[in-house]
Amino acid sequence: MSPTKSPEPDPQRFEVSKGTLLLDRAMTHLIRVGGLAVILAVFGIFFFILKEIIPLFSKAEVEVEALMEAPGPENSNSNSLALGVDEWGEKPFLYQGGSAITIVDVETGAREILPVPMLEGVEVTAVSSDPVKRRIAVGTADGRVGSFVVTYGAEFDEEGRRTVVPSVEEEPWFEVEEGAGPVRELAYGEGGSRRIVVVARDLGTSLIELRQKRGLIGGEKLTRAGETAVGDQLGSDVSSVVASNNGKEALIATQSGAVYYFLIDGGEAVLKQTFKPFDGDPPVQMDYLFGGVSVAMTDASGDQKIFSLFRPEGSVDRLFGQIKEFAPVGAGLPIFAPSLRNKSFLTGAGGRLSLRHLTSGETRWEGEASFEPVAAAIDGKTEHFFIAGAEGQIQRYTFDDPHPESGWTAFFGKVWYEGGSEPVYQWQSTGGSDDFEPKLSLVPLIIGSLKGTFYALLFSVPVALLAAVFSASFLPHDMKKVVKPAMEIMASLPSVVLGFLAGIWLAPIIEDKIPSILLVCLSLPVAALLMGVIWCRQPMQVRRWLEGGREWMVMVPVVLGVSWAAWSLGPLLERLAFVYEDPATGRAIADFRLWWPQATGLSYDQRNCVVVGFMMGFAVIPVIFTISEDALSNVPKTLTAASSALGASRWQVVRSIIIPVASPGIFSALMIGFGRAVGETMIMVMATGNTPVTEWNIMNGMRTLAANIAVELPEAAPGSTHYRTLFLGALVLFVLTFTLNSVAEILRQRLREKNKLV
Amino acid sequence: MPREDFIAVDKFSFFYGEKQALHDIDMAIPQQEVTALIGPSGCGKSTLLRNMNRMNDLIEGVRHRGDIRLNGKSLYDPRIEVISLRKRVGMVFQKYNPFAKTVYENVIFSLRVAGRNKKKELDEVVERSLRSAALWDEVKDRLHDSAFGLSGGQQQRLCIARAIANQPEILLMDEPCAALDPTATLKIESLIRDLKSQFTIVIVTHNMEQASRCSDRTAFLYMGRLVEYGPTKQLFENPSEEDTEAYISGRFS
Repeated sequence: MSPTKSPEPDPQRFEVSKGTLLLDRAMTHLIRVGGLAVILAVFGIFFFILKEIIPLFSKAEVEVEALMEAPGPENSNSNSLALGVDEWGEKPFLYQGGSAITIVDVETGAREILPVPMLEGVEVTAVSSDPVKRRIAVGTADGRVGSFVVTYGAEFDEEGRRTVVPSVEEEPWFEVEEGAGPVRELAYGEGGSRRIVVVARDLGTSLIELRQKRGLIGGEKLTRAGETAVGDQLGSDVSSVVASNNGKEALIATQSGAVYYFLIDGGEAVLKQTFKPFDGDPPVQMDYLFGGVSVAMTDASGDQKIFSLFRPEGSVDRLFGQIKEFAPVGAGLPIFAPSLRNKSFLTGAGGRLSLRHLTSGETRWEGEASFEPVAAAIDGKTEHFFIAGAEGQIQRYTFDDPHPESGWTAFFGKVWYEGGSEPVYQWQSTGGSDDFEPKLSLVPLIIGSLKGTFYALLFSVPVALLAAVFSASFLPHDMKKVVKPAMEIMASLPSVVLGFLAGIWLAPIIEDKIPSILLVCLSLPVAALLMGVIWCRQPMQVRRWLEGGREWMVMVPVVLGVSWAAWSLGPLLERLAFVYEDPATGRAIADFRLWWPQATGLSYDQRNCVVVGFMMGFAVIPVIFTISEDALSNVPKTLTAASSALGASRWQVVRSIIIPVASPGIFSALMIGFGRAVGETMIMVMATGNTPVTEWNIMNGMRTLAANIAVELPEAAPGSTHYRTLFLGALVLFVLTFTLNSVAEILRQRLREKNKLV
Repeated sequence: MPREDFIAVDKFSFFYGEKQALHDIDMAIPQQEVTALIGPSGCGKSTLLRNMNRMNDLIEGVRHRGDIRLNGKSLYDPRIEVISLRKRVGMVFQKYNPFAKTVYENVIFSLRVAGRNKKKELDEVVERSLRSAALWDEVKDRLHDSAFGLSGGQQQRLCIARAIANQPEILLMDEPCAALDPTATLKIESLIRDLKSQFTIVIVTHNMEQASRCSDRTAFLYMGRLVEYGPTKQLFENPSEEDTEAYISGRFS
């Protein structure tokens, strides 16, 4: 019996309005779509990067085309066969001795005979061909040397179709004075106005120097500048010769297996080096690779090695040293054709063909020819290669190998580059000339990323963590309300501004203040600890003034004073400890910048890790500070109270209770700081100097993966090896952070398990 | 001879900022007895308890007037080191709060922070403390397991063992059974009666049964003032104040 009768309940009170349900469903879907889109976007980026990278690891694709016949004249012989091709690979020519060259049209199979009048009635005993200049040099039975150049002109008809028109340009004959009998071996190297011809005859070997004077209208006259007999310097008969396209260098191999390197310097041929590439076996093939720095040599058993000019330590001369050894090409007469665009080359023996690349040391493709080739050529566009048989067969192959210099070794292994004195990790993607060998090792960049991160964290982790502990456990609440947001504002500084400040403003300022900085970094912690000891010795009455976390008021003047004193004492320290002695004059100079390289053998750069670490601190400290401060502040008060009640000091509470419980959070903070440091780009671009070095020297810079992408991607041609390698760098960066983050997450879970509450 | 005014609260007032939580409290807590502080929520009984080892110092913006003397010495003497004060006054909290350590390490925490690391001494302390806390038989085989593996009642007794490991003079207990089931509560209560011979115990409780079961004296606080303080039996059976009677008969809480 209730005093007031409640009104009849609303029958609709159990219903849910349509709008609520609709909105609920719509939001559910919206959130689901959003979540999926994020996952898709991440995978999309990943697949895009993969798509750009995969071609780097594909081999060459080679297609065999129709066989052509170009039977030679009556007096042809296979020993004096030379094959050449135009830039487009449309009309290869074959010289098979005699007084004409045969040109075959690849499309129609039509043959064209181009006479070479200078060879009329001449018995050719040696032939040498230059794939770059398309020059055929011949040596005769009566001891003369002559040459002609096959040139291809392009004519276009009204419809714009290109026709390749070959022609022959003859060059004068020269008598060889040294030796007797027919010319056995011949090499011809042209380097602009100076040329070198290596001639081996039965009783003498000589280097002939030719000079070309250029007239006003390009009319040139080739004259003989001198001939140097070198035969008496060789131990035995000549087996093969090669001359460089700078007109200065000649290599002569003899039957004893020794190779003699002559350099023409001031009109004199000087023997610079003798070496045995295959111990006792003589090389039967010697040819320069594109660029004229490296020579490929093959011996009769098929072993193939690359020798390159480099400057050994302590030597003024550049000498040849072995930089690569390839898999044997097989037994038989080796053929060789260099690419005219990169460091690829076609080689082979006994019918086996092999397309190789110098930098990676890899075989890009291998195949069998239908006949045994005696000559090979690659066209100027690096789209086709040709092989020619002794009977005048010509086989064209179309090949596609857009990224020959890439490969696992090239990216991650030590590579002995042309001109280098040892295998190195090196990044140098572009060079000043066309024949530059790209150095695409990602190792210096990975080291750079890790180095930048290491020095950034070395500086910021102690500062950020100590600040977080101080703010969370010692600082009074009203101070914390000011300090924490101030630290967080630091995170909003654009990194380009920080990088700019670091590179343009800070680096020059602290360049000659390293001893001062060193002293400040050392004296601050010492002063802080000392201050702690002194403070503890004070009577309780003194300490009570600043109880409850206000002790920093005493610390600030100490820190400022000690910093100022240390900074001022820097020059004194420099005079005491960092004295450089000039080896030339014996004068002593107090300069850390000079002392460091002398004392450590490492370089000193203005933009060094000290600058980077300091500026990266501005980017990394707020991240680590904020997250770890939150973790430390969130440790339950019951635990800190319990440990305080057990007589633990503030520091003991922090060390044995707060830090273990907050450790998973601190760990996350470190990992996020790490991620920020690894991925940081603008500071690294502007403050590191961007030199891809592989050393951990604190006094020089680095180039990070991220900075490398930022610097080089705008100038990399899309689809090029360089471009794809930059994407590979991005993937490496991704894998690096992903792996480290995964490991860190596992460790964090363990920490959390170990220190979990209830 | 136990001292009658072992803890002497002398005209003690306490402020959280502007809010006054305690008004001129005067009471003398005798040695080796159990004194219960009762009263409705917010009456200041926990505040008073937490002042006895200056735990309230950890809170921002608090101040006090008057004095609390421990065995004749003021807690607020400027020469007193808070850390050493807390070693003399152990405390057990409302919610059991063992550290994320082993049972063993929990018990000896107060020795570790004091730098006492001799294995033999530590082993002795662990056994003695756990026996005193009536926990030894239950945990002696898992001393080196995590403390979180224990039941709630065991964890609270572990906290008591931890608090008495350093053999303080006084043991403060802030609603030690609030988070426990009745069986565990009974165990703790009998433990409190046992511990009385070694320590002076001050216990804050909401539970009047508990106060009557295990305390020798009871103080009733209301609105920050000490309303009545006397032998437990007398206070419960024959309260002299109207408010006390109202409270213990359940007319307000």
